[in-house]
Amino acid sequence: MKILIVEDEPSLREVMQRALVQEHYVVETAATYAEADARIAGYSYDCILLDIMLPDGNGLRLLEHIKRLRKRENVIIISARDSLEDKVLGLEQGADDYLPKPFHTAELLARIRSVLRRGRSGGDLTIDLGNVSLEPEGRRVQVGGVELPLLKKEFDILLYFMQRPNHLVDKSVLAEAVWGDHADQADNFHFVYAQIKNLRHKLSEAGATIEIRAVYGFGYKLVTTTADE
Amino acid sequence: MKLIYRIALRLSLLLLPLLALWAALFYYTMIDEINDEADDALDDYSELIIVRMLSGRELPALNNGSNNSYSIVPVNEAYVETHPRIHYRDAEVYIPEKEETEPARILTTLFQDRDGHFYKLTVATPTFEKGDLFRAILYWIIFLYLLLLLTVLGSTVWVFHRTLRPLYALLQWLDEYTPGQKNAAVPADTTIPEFHRLCIAAQQAANRTEELFERQKQFIGNASHELQTPLAILGNRLEWLLDNGNPSEEQLGELIKMQRTLSHVVRLNRTLLLLTKIENGQFPESTDIDIAGIVQEQLPFYEEIYASRGIVCTTRLAGPLEVRMNESLATILVTNLLKNAYVHTSEEGHVEVVIQGRRFEVRNDGSEPLDADHIFDRFYQGKKKEGSTGLGLALVSAVGRYYGLRVAYRFVEGRHCFTVVWP
Repeated sequence: MKILIVEDEPSLREVMQRALVQEHYVVETAATYAEADARIAGYSYDCILLDIMLPDGNGLRLLEHIKRLRKRENVIIISARDSLEDKVLGLEQGADDYLPKPFHTAELLARIRSVLRRGRSGGDLTIDLGNVSLEPEGRRVQVGGVELPLLKKEFDILLYFMQRPNHLVDKSVLAEAVWGDHADQADNFHFVYAQIKNLRHKLSEAGATIEIRAVYGFGYKLVTTTADE
Repeated sequence: MKLIYRIALRLSLLLLPLLALWAALFYYTMIDEINDEADDALDDYSELIIVRMLSGRELPALNNGSNNSYSIVPVNEAYVETHPRIHYRDAEVYIPEKEETEPARILTTLFQDRDGHFYKLTVATPTFEKGDLFRAILYWIIFLYLLLLLTVLGSTVWVFHRTLRPLYALLQWLDEYTPGQKNAAVPADTTIPEFHRLCIAAQQAANRTEELFERQKQFIGNASHELQTPLAILGNRLEWLLDNGNPSEEQLGELIKMQRTLSHVVRLNRTLLLLTKIENGQFPESTDIDIAGIVQEQLPFYEEIYASRGIVCTTRLAGPLEVRMNESLATILVTNLLKNAYVHTSEEGHVEVVIQGRRFEVRNDGSEPLDADHIFDRFYQGKKKEGSTGLGLALVSAVGRYYGLRVAYRFVEGRHCFTVVWP
């Protein structure tokens, strides 16, 4: 899988590249509009991470250019401008996703995986991990081929973890991801723990080979138990 | 005190002694003139009598219908030495014909006949009642004073308003002026140079304010946008350390705390951007929204998140509250008020959500009233809460301003009440 990062800020480019390389992607980078344009013209990529605020041109024009070339690249727009209009405009011009800055690495990886999966399998977004398979659109979970009924929050939490296997997820980050802005001033994370407890219980009851592990008191990590054995 | 009242008051106060002085002057001049006339008549009369007497002719009858009277008495030399030859005075005399006393002007003349005998001639002519005159003049003066005052004030007010119309137009414009909003142009409909200068100054000040306001807004927006990339870098590096650094438990704890602080900054930045966007009016699309519906949808989140605190929430939703708003702004309005109530309610406390007519109210237990003038200001925090951006109520107030809603805070019977009223 080949990915092009178009980002003018060297430090961000570096951390993004490092994270993607670690996930075994082949990564190339471009710092300017011109450089990106040259690369896109010469090579093809599976996914392009496109910062739309470039020093020498608007990334949206680059997107237009890519689509005009009828290239099949998946494009994820990365923007400091978290506005609905920009998002709508970007998606209308053919971008596959829109990720506002600042983002978590895990979020970026999850989006890339999701975009690639969608492009590869013609819309099937099912995530498989161990003997658990999760359909984000249908909101269904199967463990070893057997349907596992989950409540809304339990499903959201499992989806979040399935998109970030082996990543340490801080409780507060999880709370914000699942409960949204409502949770940003919570004075404890009992409510997160209560949901995780139920989810864990359901997973182990169903004989899942994945497990949500507590990492000290800080957060959780989704691991496949078979891999450990 | 309004300028016109002050002018009227000062005019009245100034006119009072001036008119009194004028009245006194008028009175004394008039008395003087009348006395002068009477004295002339008395002079003639006494001269006539003296001439007749000295020439030995018949003296005029005492009662000749003129009410004039005279008497001649012989006096000795000692009297003459101690008294002036001619003396005018005012006195009451008895008029036998009328059988009453009347005020009169009296002339006393001492004269000598051919034999060297001295006589005192006293002639009297009835004059006016000075008290009456004084009273009449006083009444008229008062009447004139009032009339004059009314006339002066009336014309002053009229002239004042006509002349100062541009000033009042300017003042009204200033009242209606809000920086950052669409404002009418400064009224410049005047040919008076002073007012013209004032209008130009107002226009310049307004332009400057607009420019500063715009620049400040842009600055906050730009600064927040510029921060996004460094924040992303910092967050990603932290995440990399968490996943790859093999940190010890202690180091992990530190990293997680750094991450939480960072997400606080991220949230702060995002909220500032949101505020800027609301103030820029970047939420144009409106739909019909039911506030009660949003409350019912959002409340379970808080009940779950704050379940460990045992806060009791009661809702009294009289019915749907249909408003026309941008959906995300309506949600921001409701959730920030709900969150504020939950965050600042102590354990086992009570939160109450009321919808009555066009009024949405969130009440929660509190120990003391908050500063109602500043509670909706950015970063105003009565008690600093960890994780709080201090912008929640500022968002509520910004949304309120955007839609012209009445957003208010009051403290009633140990409870904070936040009210939003739709017009």
